[in-house]
Amino acid sequence: MTTKPAPATTSTTAPVSPNRRRGSAKGGSRRHGEGLAGYVFLSPWLLGLMAITAFPMLFSLYLSFTNYDILSSWEFVEWVGFENYWDLFVNDQTFRHSVQVTLIFAFVAVPLKLAAALGVALLLNRETRGVGLFRSLFYLPSLLGGSVALALIWRAMFSGDGAFNDFLGLFGITGQPWVNDPDWALETLMVLAIWQFGAPMVIFLAGLKQVPTELYEAASVDGAGKIRQFFNVTLPMLSPVIFFNLVLETINGFQGFTAAFVISNGTGGPVDSTMLYTLYLYTKGFTEFQMGYASALAWVFLIAIGLITVLFFSTGRFWVHYSDGDND
Amino acid sequence: MHPATSPTANTPATRAHRTPFGRRRLLRGVAATAVVPLVLGVAACGDEASSDPDAPVTIEFFWWGGESRAELTEQALDLYEEKNPNVTINPTWQAFTGYYDKLATISAGGNAPDIFQIDDNGLAEYAGRNVTLDLTPFVESGDIDLSNHPESLTQYGQIDGKQVAVAAGENTPALVYDKTKITELGLPEPETGWTYDEFIAWGAQVTEAAGGDYWGAMDPSSDYKALWLWLRSQGKEFYDGPQLAFTEADLTEWFQFWLDAREAGATPPADVVHEAVGGGVSDQLVVTGKGATSFMWSNQLSELGKSTESELGMVAYPGDPKGQWARASLYWAGSRSTEHPEVVADVIDFLANDPEAAQILGVDRGLPSNIDNRETVQAGLDDPYMTATVEFENALIPQMGPAPAPPPQGHGPLRSTLTTVAESVTYGQASPADAAAEFFRQAEATLE
Repeated sequence: MTTKPAPATTSTTAPVSPNRRRGSAKGGSRRHGEGLAGYVFLSPWLLGLMAITAFPMLFSLYLSFTNYDILSSWEFVEWVGFENYWDLFVNDQTFRHSVQVTLIFAFVAVPLKLAAALGVALLLNRETRGVGLFRSLFYLPSLLGGSVALALIWRAMFSGDGAFNDFLGLFGITGQPWVNDPDWALETLMVLAIWQFGAPMVIFLAGLKQVPTELYEAASVDGAGKIRQFFNVTLPMLSPVIFFNLVLETINGFQGFTAAFVISNGTGGPVDSTMLYTLYLYTKGFTEFQMGYASALAWVFLIAIGLITVLFFSTGRFWVHYSDGDND
Repeated sequence: MHPATSPTANTPATRAHRTPFGRRRLLRGVAATAVVPLVLGVAACGDEASSDPDAPVTIEFFWWGGESRAELTEQALDLYEEKNPNVTINPTWQAFTGYYDKLATISAGGNAPDIFQIDDNGLAEYAGRNVTLDLTPFVESGDIDLSNHPESLTQYGQIDGKQVAVAAGENTPALVYDKTKITELGLPEPETGWTYDEFIAWGAQVTEAAGGDYWGAMDPSSDYKALWLWLRSQGKEFYDGPQLAFTEADLTEWFQFWLDAREAGATPPADVVHEAVGGGVSDQLVVTGKGATSFMWSNQLSELGKSTESELGMVAYPGDPKGQWARASLYWAGSRSTEHPEVVADVIDFLANDPEAAQILGVDRGLPSNIDNRETVQAGLDDPYMTATVEFENALIPQMGPAPAPPPQGHGPLRSTLTTVAESVTYGQASPADAAAEFFRQAEATLE
């Protein structure tokens, strides 16, 4: 995805730099003025970043060291140091449980979702009749994204007397109460997440179209079959796209909230089986009024996701092959 | 993005000469557009703070409920506006799901609605954190007249000696049953005053007679109000101030009792119970037809009745009725940050006492709080289920026990904890004793 536009940009931006340099040589004040104009044009975004992202983030960092409870006025907010973080790691069993649930959710749902996306992308990567229609149809579920309506439908379909059990009944299979069973509720959420594989599928499709056909020709001349071609040509050529999808979907997976919230009526039940980390955070902040504690949860979460992403990037050099890197 | 930025980067100098807007002019324009709403905003604030009694006043008013409640409430508020032309009331309402989340969020932003509906699950949380307006001075001055409200109902709106809210109605927990189904089976209908053992024996009988189509009883082991009444009917209590008033042994017995009830065939399996407990009116067993009984509130009978074709009946929860008390179904509370405390008090007094308002509101939020209004309201009811609600309440009042204090801060999270540990028993993940121990372990942290 990123490989194609890259050469185009370098070619258009290349003349700019000498141009700019010439400008600065003529007069420093003018360059200064241009800088100001730049900031003025940047300001809507910059102000947005400050007011909507940076300030609330830093503020929540501050709150995580306090006992802020949303409702009390500010004079009652006390600095409690690392107490929230201490409680979290030492005393909070629900925290540990929610970490476990979230890890299981992300590490099962994300690989399966990517596998489904890649599989369907391979099937749709050919110019046959109606392929455009199929691409749209497979993409459709992910358009619905984290929608509440979809979660409601999921809950109705996978309840004890829902449509899915009726369907199983046609084959004489007695179903489960799925979303109302602590052993199956999380799995039901995973299936919902996997079903929405459209977004990574589209990116995989774009990536597959980038793979030069000469490589396949060369491979088949060398006697490689379809499977061999997949593992020795497609996968390595696709690895940057796989990496991109993996990082993005993992982060998304950890942040799953809507479906768990809607399907469990905001409780994380039955018996905390769908208590995803974000849902626990929300419960602490908005229904138990422990916003300081919830802020601490949010920062631990941020750092954990950051670390996992760093981990991905550090392992990436062992298995991600950038084609332009080969030229060096 | 890149292609879009590169041409502009190529020609910034020429662009600046050509454009009719100088940089300064542009900045001045930006500044002006930013300042104008600011000034208007300040002006608007100044307007509202005026102390002239006839000056126009706007009150934000927020509650939860269904459509019929919205219709009635808006009619009553319209009547108030008619009588007080300078007051405009902005009503906002929504379903219960998400109500408290929204109330907490807007309160945190300092925009708490001037008047809002609240129940005993949230009262201590909000009053204890000084979100609510102290109504005591208005009660003392007679601006809010509580002289015709039952004493215990008034007390149930007091926290730390302050009147923090006024009851919008009176209700009690009530066991709703499917009369049509029971009659079809030829079995006796449940009665107020049954013991829990009698109730379970009856439930098992119903399940058996129904031949697997539905269950006779419901399992309320995860429902705090059922546990509370069960404790009170034995002379015990749920809370003693900010502490739990019952023991781990009590809770173990409670979980064990319902486990045995399920084994006796009286109550449905865990997933059916879970669906009903976590759901709304339309998910209750008497509505879905999966059961013959539901543990509800007395003022919900009419709404339940509209959702099913069966005829419904209503009795008290099993156990000694002295466990019941005159409970405020819902309250009206004011916001401490309101700019018009007198108007807030006046609207609350109107809703709680005005005979015409009472006539409009009916028994949607339970019996009218003002005793004088009860007979006229009852006479004006055309919904047989609402009449049944009033008759049920009236019959129960002489048998009631004294009102406890409203639940303390931390009650909300504790309810969720009770649900989770109770379900760990019903789903077979924990023994009653382990679940009870877990509840007390978590309660200690919540109520500290």
